[in-house]
Amino acid sequence: MMIRLFTGFYSILKGFKVTFKNMLKKPVTLNYPIVKKPMTDRFRGMVDLVPEKCVICYQCIKICPTAALELEHKVLEDNKTKTITKFVFNGELCCFCGFCGEICPTDAIFLNKMYEVSYFAHKDLLTIDLMRKDKYKHVDGGESS
Amino acid sequence: MGELLTVNMGPQHPSTHGVLYLELKMDGEIVVDCKPHLGYLHRSIEKIAENRTYTQFIPFTDRLDYLASMNNNLGYCLAVEKLLNIAVPDRAQYLRVIIAELNRAVSHLVAIGTFAQDLGAYATPLFYAFRDREKIVDLFDSICGGRLTYNYMRIGGVSADIPARTEQIIKDFIAYERKQLIEYNELLTYNVIFLARSKNIGILSKEVARSYSVTGPMLRASGIKWDIRKEEPYSMYDKFDFDVPVGANGDSWDRFKVRLDEISQSLRIVEQAIGGIPEGNPVSKVNRVFRGTGEAYVRTENPRGELGFYLVAEGGFNPTRCKIRSPSFSNLGALSELVKGLNISDAVCVLGSMDIVMGEIDR
Repeated sequence: MMIRLFTGFYSILKGFKVTFKNMLKKPVTLNYPIVKKPMTDRFRGMVDLVPEKCVICYQCIKICPTAALELEHKVLEDNKTKTITKFVFNGELCCFCGFCGEICPTDAIFLNKMYEVSYFAHKDLLTIDLMRKDKYKHVDGGESS
Repeated sequence: MGELLTVNMGPQHPSTHGVLYLELKMDGEIVVDCKPHLGYLHRSIEKIAENRTYTQFIPFTDRLDYLASMNNNLGYCLAVEKLLNIAVPDRAQYLRVIIAELNRAVSHLVAIGTFAQDLGAYATPLFYAFRDREKIVDLFDSICGGRLTYNYMRIGGVSADIPARTEQIIKDFIAYERKQLIEYNELLTYNVIFLARSKNIGILSKEVARSYSVTGPMLRASGIKWDIRKEEPYSMYDKFDFDVPVGANGDSWDRFKVRLDEISQSLRIVEQAIGGIPEGNPVSKVNRVFRGTGEAYVRTENPRGELGFYLVAEGGFNPTRCKIRSPSFSNLGALSELVKGLNISDAVCVLGSMDIVMGEIDR
């Protein structure tokens, strides 16, 4: 009984040694909403678009595993140039795989560094108009193209 | 025996590791019978595979065992490559092994952290484990852009080459983690209270383990030396020298110890691989189109056991059947055998030592 008590006490002391050592170290966490960590170069955030670069090849629509993108276009009267009439991104369906950005031949569509993806209304998340410049401006710090 | 009481543990319970619902028949404090109920996280991933192209299914494999996404990616990509006879560059093979082993190490870190928390070591070991895991998650973030669902492997390669300084970061991590493992031993492994809670609790004998087709660290803790990386080497595993840690009794402590030892073995593999990465282009473009006929089954050693992908193709752009053999599902089968006759608090200990992930059980 005494031996068990002694060994138990000893192993608790040993554990305390580890926790005490760690207590003196610098904290590894950030004071999150005040201090924000910069995202890495390849970080995959929200889907974003540079409309001028888009050549309307529909490759992103075809590769998307969850059908989160919707693109419509029309041919102008000169029968040559195409313009986008609708490019909508469904933030709820998106699985942030990054295939659209990887497959895009002109890097028009890409995943930005935005990781705070809350919306005030559910329907706003479902129909994010990628053609608008201020699509991600509603979130504090949200950057857009 | 008095009147039996039915206790519903879960699906919302902190120690059930996801949405697992256990129906326990209790005689006082003693568990008489245990019945796991599944299906709360079912997303019909196998059916989804039939409606997606081979490449499009890769992000869905991330969501099986979400603590080891890289290993799932690897298993699926190997299965498709076997089915369609696709060659993989050597550099990509090396990168895959390094990444998969690092993911195994951090997956085991989460396992031992949560196990300690289940035993009542509130938060401290879990936070230490997550602190170490964060280093690798940050590395994976810089390599592939994801922090949980990595989606890094591609059919016939990987999505991007590793950025500069990655090798140095990995080397630093190996040195750091080896020191940390000593700390874990001091804090947990040989702690008397920890031993009292986990030693001789939930003993899984060799015969029972075999009959339930238990795999992975759980099987090895029962004393059976079985590791797909050794028995049926895939990718580049036959080039590396590593041991397969084996337990003696098959109790909860052995399962914990096997995982701890596997971390150091994983670091050993990474150390060997990092020095010999060949030059070349490992990237396989996402717009490659695949189609073919036939069937293939590939099994790989996931952190939780044997992950198998069975694919049937009939010439289309997508497989006509995809069957996933997930390790946690088979491992969970043995739970009702293990917890009979234990206290309810020890049942939590056994469940924690099994390290199940509901994402791949329900699929």
